[in-house]
Amino acid sequence: MGKFITIGERIHCISPVIREAMNTQNPEPILLRAKEQLDAGAVYLDVNIGPAESTGVELMKWAVRLLQENFDNVPLCLDTANKKAIEAGISVYNRSKGKPIVNSADAGDRIEYIDLAGANDAMCIALCSKAGVPADNDERMMYCQELLERGMEHGMEPEDLWFDPLFLVIKGMQDKQMDVLDAIRMISEMGLNSTGGLSNVSNGMPKEVRPIMDAAMMAMAMANGLTSAIINPCDKRLMETIKSCDVIKNNSLYADSYLQI
Amino acid sequence: MAYKQTSQKFNAAINSVEIGTGNKTLALGGENVLPFYSFDGPILNPPRVGVEISDLGMNDKLAGMLNFYGDTQDVVELVKKASGMPGAEFICLVLDSADPDGENRSVEDCVAMVKSVEEAATLPLMVMGCGNTEKDTVLFEKISEALEGKNIVILSAKEENYKNVGASAGLAYGQKVGAESSVDINLAKQLNVLLTQLGVNNKNIIMNLGSATAGYGFEYVVSTMDRVKMAALGQNDTALQMPIVTPVSSETWSVKESLLEQEDMPEWGSRENRIIDMEVATAAACLAAGSNAVILRHPSTVEAISQMIKELI
Repeated sequence: MGKFITIGERIHCISPVIREAMNTQNPEPILLRAKEQLDAGAVYLDVNIGPAESTGVELMKWAVRLLQENFDNVPLCLDTANKKAIEAGISVYNRSKGKPIVNSADAGDRIEYIDLAGANDAMCIALCSKAGVPADNDERMMYCQELLERGMEHGMEPEDLWFDPLFLVIKGMQDKQMDVLDAIRMISEMGLNSTGGLSNVSNGMPKEVRPIMDAAMMAMAMANGLTSAIINPCDKRLMETIKSCDVIKNNSLYADSYLQI
Repeated sequence: MAYKQTSQKFNAAINSVEIGTGNKTLALGGENVLPFYSFDGPILNPPRVGVEISDLGMNDKLAGMLNFYGDTQDVVELVKKASGMPGAEFICLVLDSADPDGENRSVEDCVAMVKSVEEAATLPLMVMGCGNTEKDTVLFEKISEALEGKNIVILSAKEENYKNVGASAGLAYGQKVGAESSVDINLAKQLNVLLTQLGVNNKNIIMNLGSATAGYGFEYVVSTMDRVKMAALGQNDTALQMPIVTPVSSETWSVKESLLEQEDMPEWGSRENRIIDMEVATAAACLAAGSNAVILRHPSTVEAISQMIKELI
């Protein structure tokens, strides 16, 4: 098994600094966020430009070039509701460090993102949902199957679809947490890759509690077969948990300095 | 249904490390397939065969050894002859004379001797210490300095002295650093990490994972080498993508099968044949498990192993 793949989430237009930098095409704040995340051990970087309806195409091209030129063709996850912007990003994307990831498709309105990924030989995050949160794992796995078939119809390899079981907030949906873990196990037992926005579980919790809850969820999710997650790599406790779990799963060979590499 | 061959593709490769300079250079490693899996993809550099020479000369005057080297104990002469040995691709000089519990030759004398050996050899050079960590650490520093630019391999940096050896051989004088870890897989990785953190380029490191003689707990050697190659290729672990060099003869010549004279064990037959057999069996097994270079002593073994490599690749 390969090592767990972290996708750094911090280049996101929801952050005022990043939004401002994207609006003015100012490289500095974006490069700084990228460097912080890569230094902390992120493998992929997510680039979320928001809906960007009018400016998306140019903005995504600019961001992809900027990040790959400055960081040795770092692999990227292209994150926007603007399909043309994703295609534009892929058109200037260098694949030497890994295929681009389309973020994201679902079994509802966004199912065509799978077609887009297939047509462009990209990977695709596939949300196991249609409209809102799936009621149970029967529903989750039905969507998973649907998305997998759609991908194969469009010439994708199953390993290029990363299924997102939809991590749910504990404050409010505490009774659903084990379902999510079971879904991860089912996806893993089908031999498929998985990912997701893990920090959703600790949403609304006090700042000092969140890294603890995220780390616990990460360990349990990895034990159930999660192969990737969209996370804040600057969360040291979380990264240490991932590295430790990678050792326990024999995904990486132990050495005394394993936390530093 | 017709047989369809599938090949195992890895997106990672073992580092190709060049040793020596000028017309005596040799590249180790560089492959991205499992040992001898040439059916999965081309093997960039075949495994290499080196000849071990002790600076004390031949301590065992076997017929086959005398036949090849003649009756000389002069280390420079021995190295010259070994350079022309069929199948030999590098020389490994062992500084046995430096041992404080033995001849205790001074560091200055050792350095002078290594210099003349390097000049005489027509093959690239590896230098192995006497086994006394304290003395070896000083020796390695002075030898690395004296042979700056010759791109020799220092065998080895260990857990106890990696800082000194890494700083002198690896950083100050640009030699290749052997990282020695006596069949301890986690230490093997840790040493590479520590040397890299010290600033040694990971392309300048060669691993000596250690060995055992075939039949003497050798399974552990196999599983160690196996896991290292799978991590390097399958998990793209850059801390384990260094080529592996394995000193074989130092292990196999000291087991009872190699030590007992024919008079003491007539049913075992010729002692020299047994020595060769143990050396060949162990070297072949190390290569099959993942060694990128083996260090051997007997000319017949060198020939047999290099022939085996040629036939298989």
